[in-house]
Amino acid sequence: MSTALKDMIRNPTVAELELVARYAALKADARRERLFEAFAQTGLPGRRIEGWRWTDFKAALTSLDAPKVATARDPLARDGVATLRFTPSGYAAPKALPAGLKLLAKDDVQAMGGAEDAPLGALAAALSGGRTPATLLVDVSAGVPVHLHMVFEGPGAINAARVVFLLRPGAELHLSESHLGGAALSASLIEFTLNKDARLNRTVYQIGGAGEAQAITALIEQDAGAESVQTVLAFGAKVARIETRLVHRESGSKATLNAAYLAGAGLQADITTHVRHGAPSCITGQVTKGAVLDGGRGVFQGKFHVPRTAGQQTDASMQHKALLLEEGAEVFAKPELEILADDVQCAHGNTSGALDAAQLFYLRQRGIPLVQARALLTEAFIAEALEGAGALEEALRAEASAWLNHAA
Amino acid sequence: MLKIENLSATVGEGEDAKTILNGLSLAVPTGEVHAIMGPNGAGKSTLSYVLTGREGYAVTGGTATLNGADMLALEPEARAAAGLFLSFQYPVEIPGVPVMTFVRTAMNAQRKARGEAEISAPDFIKKSREIAKVLSLDPEMLKRPVNVGFSGGEKKRLEIYQMMMLEPRFMVLDETDSGLDIDALRTVAEGVNALRAPSRGMLVITHYQRLLDYIKPDKVHVLAKGRIIKTGGPDLAHRLEAEGYDGVLAEAV
Repeated sequence: MSTALKDMIRNPTVAELELVARYAALKADARRERLFEAFAQTGLPGRRIEGWRWTDFKAALTSLDAPKVATARDPLARDGVATLRFTPSGYAAPKALPAGLKLLAKDDVQAMGGAEDAPLGALAAALSGGRTPATLLVDVSAGVPVHLHMVFEGPGAINAARVVFLLRPGAELHLSESHLGGAALSASLIEFTLNKDARLNRTVYQIGGAGEAQAITALIEQDAGAESVQTVLAFGAKVARIETRLVHRESGSKATLNAAYLAGAGLQADITTHVRHGAPSCITGQVTKGAVLDGGRGVFQGKFHVPRTAGQQTDASMQHKALLLEEGAEVFAKPELEILADDVQCAHGNTSGALDAAQLFYLRQRGIPLVQARALLTEAFIAEALEGAGALEEALRAEASAWLNHAA
Repeated sequence: MLKIENLSATVGEGEDAKTILNGLSLAVPTGEVHAIMGPNGAGKSTLSYVLTGREGYAVTGGTATLNGADMLALEPEARAAAGLFLSFQYPVEIPGVPVMTFVRTAMNAQRKARGEAEISAPDFIKKSREIAKVLSLDPEMLKRPVNVGFSGGEKKRLEIYQMMMLEPRFMVLDETDSGLDIDALRTVAEGVNALRAPSRGMLVITHYQRLLDYIKPDKVHVLAKGRIIKTGGPDLAHRLEAEGYDGVLAEAV
């Protein structure tokens, strides 16, 4: 390895040196270099970096040794839905694709806007390639709604993937993603451009082991009249970050960013969102619900940025509610509204607490055992956050319910 | 038979602990309906909570058994499975959990604890429909979250609905008449009376005699300062109504 490469990250850890080596082994590319540099400015982000205080990848990821755990089951897998599969050793797509969907696997790296703001997104982009496409372009045209499923899983050191979606004017995409872990570090960057009046329904299921790190970064840009509905169910990992950065760049754009996280002992789930109201009369609604057990950690960081002129007539609401199911559960929340425009409606709420003792007793007096009573109340509590998943809502609720009745 | 002997209990912790039940003894034979009357602060609601195992109360002495089983040693859910049911003075709202889901979960949990088979969905729905009719409950109400947005009368009727669905062996009714108008009171009492059976006991806790015109007790006990100070027939309730607690209490001392 050249000295220049080694020096890219200041005081690198073993894991960071391995990332540098991994980068060096990939085909040289000026854009790849720029992306890796964007990552290298921070290295693996951790507690010293703004926005990563509670989600310390540097401390958690000591090396890139593949964890020896079975990959989780995929509850969102459905027959008849085209499935793209990303593993540390390769990429697979079906030969027959639904009408309106075109795939273009590119060997060269695409530029990424705002790479410095999303260091692990930049890392995913910089390390994609080799056995997997450097960039997988997905073109969705109008006509019929397109259904697509993507799976990220499998054993190995690193599972890096980058997928770039273009939703043409009026196109409608129903995308489900299962991030099942299996690698020491799973990093994916998924970008969406929603042209005029395009519709995106994105459902993200994340689960990982206590020896894994996962970073799922999404960048969404929306044109006039576009609408996105995102639903996340996260069970966390040693560290898991599900980050969504969304820009309303033309007026009349609408976004719903909902998430539920359930974190057990030794696991951490981080829901981070950043929404920029870059055009007038756009709407953002956000509901995040979480429940955490002893030894688990939940993190919510939400930010709405409403610029002075561009952000007029913004209608935005941010709610985060967390349940600390046991002593020793941790939840950190940082809701931020940066509102510079004066003609806006912005609401936010943030609470965390224990289950209501009177409700628990009422259920138990009727014969429902404590664990089941707690599960029933918690499932009802998070249900609102999963309603946007449409046909997949039941599958998500079933996973949440099973976890609550067994792990919790 | 529900048998309570010399029961003492405190509420609060450490130096703040306050004795509410103070050597209470009471026996309700299977098949009988007993009423407990008493002034505010006598310990009526505390008795219902201590019997059913609510947190925040410490039993400092005595025993309570239902058909020989030590209730105080069991978790609240095990007491329920053993057949003990409390109709709450203030039924609790459970957002997000529909009534039918709640009651079916409870019924199957109790059956499982007793080693019985689960009720089938059609059987459950049939039973629910019949009972809703008896209590004049709108079937739509049973699809809504438990007690959320229900009126006081609806909440009390829903308590009776649950009782009729779960068919407990012993029922404690805590101030079931509070907040009810006369029509609702009659409907609720009809539901309770329908559950009177040789195999079932009942303890009706009330502040006023009015409820006992509709649910006729075999015996009336007067509770004051944490213990039963007087026991009599149904006429005792009328005396309390006429003379007030002060008169009866003074006589007992």
